Amino acid sequence: MSEPENPQWLDRASEELREEVPVRPEWRAGLLADIASAPRPGIDDTDGRNGRIVLHPLAGLAAALAFAAIGAGAMFAIMSWGGRESASTTEVGLASSVPAVAAPIPATDAASDVVRFELSAPSATRVALVGSFNRWNPAATPLHRDAATGTWTVSLRLPAGRHVYAFVVDGDVTADPAAPRAADADFGSPNSVVLVSGRSS
Amino acid sequence: MRRPALIALLLLGPAGAFAQDRTIPPKLAAPTRASLERLIDSAAVAGLPIDPLYSKAQEGVFRGADDARVLAAVQRLARDLGDARTALGDSASGEEITAAANALRAGVKTTELSRLRESHAKRRHSDQRLTVALVVLADLATRGVPPALAAASVTELVARNVSDGALISFRQTIERDLLDGRPAASALDARTRTFIDDAERRRP
Repeated sequence: MSEPENPQWLDRASEELREEVPVRPEWRAGLLADIASAPRPGIDDTDGRNGRIVLHPLAGLAAALAFAAIGAGAMFAIMSWGGRESASTTEVGLASSVPAVAAPIPATDAASDVVRFELSAPSATRVALVGSFNRWNPAATPLHRDAATGTWTVSLRLPAGRHVYAFVVDGDVTADPAAPRAADADFGSPNSVVLVSGRSS
Repeated sequence: MRRPALIALLLLGPAGAFAQDRTIPPKLAAPTRASLERLIDSAAVAGLPIDPLYSKAQEGVFRGADDARVLAAVQRLARDLGDARTALGDSASGEEITAAANALRAGVKTTELSRLRESHAKRRHSDQRLTVALVVLADLATRGVPPALAAASVTELVARNVSDGALISFRQTIERDLLDGRPAASALDARTRTFIDDAERRRP
């Protein structure tokens, strides 16, 4: 069944609905006064500081749950591409400048150092760092891309010691081309090694 | 007081300190987890570093290996750690034992590790780390340098009091030589002599 085009009854009905409903002036004035005197929702003015937003405890809980859901979703999305095994390194450039034993950036205590990881991968869309320091979790440590150079970097504070790691480039696990290799290819491609001295303070 | 601490923890982000997490991945089946727990407990009782064992299990799960493969890899690493500790002696640190186990995995022999340890013990600068030499040694052997030759060269460099920084440069130089197509043995021989000469010139 097809409806008639541009029915006249529909035009008349919409015109009627658009017409202003007659309201007595004193009733309208009373309504506006009630609105003006009512407390604004979400604004606590009891301490005299206008504009301080106070969330109801349940609202705070709801917000926390929402953030957790967003985080879990993001983690799932990253893990879904990071968990695939591959030895392909074709995406990875050879111009990575991570030193053989990563040079620590001065840190606040002698038990750890901030280490900068860097990988040149101009055509990559996602790069993450996995290793003994983050439970090999590809969602834990994403690298950030410098759009001008195509270099991906991240800085981490690592405890002193020997750490094993790899990059995950668009789902492919690859060793750092500029770092010492570990002889530990139990699961496919070898990993890289970084030594943190923990001496800078 | 808890709230600021929690906020600081949340804001720490990627720059925060990451410590080894001693958990066996829950993705593994219960019998595999039980076997790993027993294995790691035994390693701890024997005084071996156990963080690498947890890391190996976590890496296996991340890379999609099945339970049997994960268990086999952790067992093999535990054996290598035990052999490495025997080669280096009871005073070796967990970091040294772990690096030495990796060198064993690359094909270096326990007798060669012991010789390297002895050379290192005679060094004049106590702040030079045996771990650096072991990492360089494992890397060279992994890249195709014959392990016995690599061990002899690194031991000689350590004996000549070559610094940690020079050892790292040595590794990078050999890597470049190999990428340029130079035969591993000749590259190693030439570079070892160069670095020893340089160390001799710098000696006061």
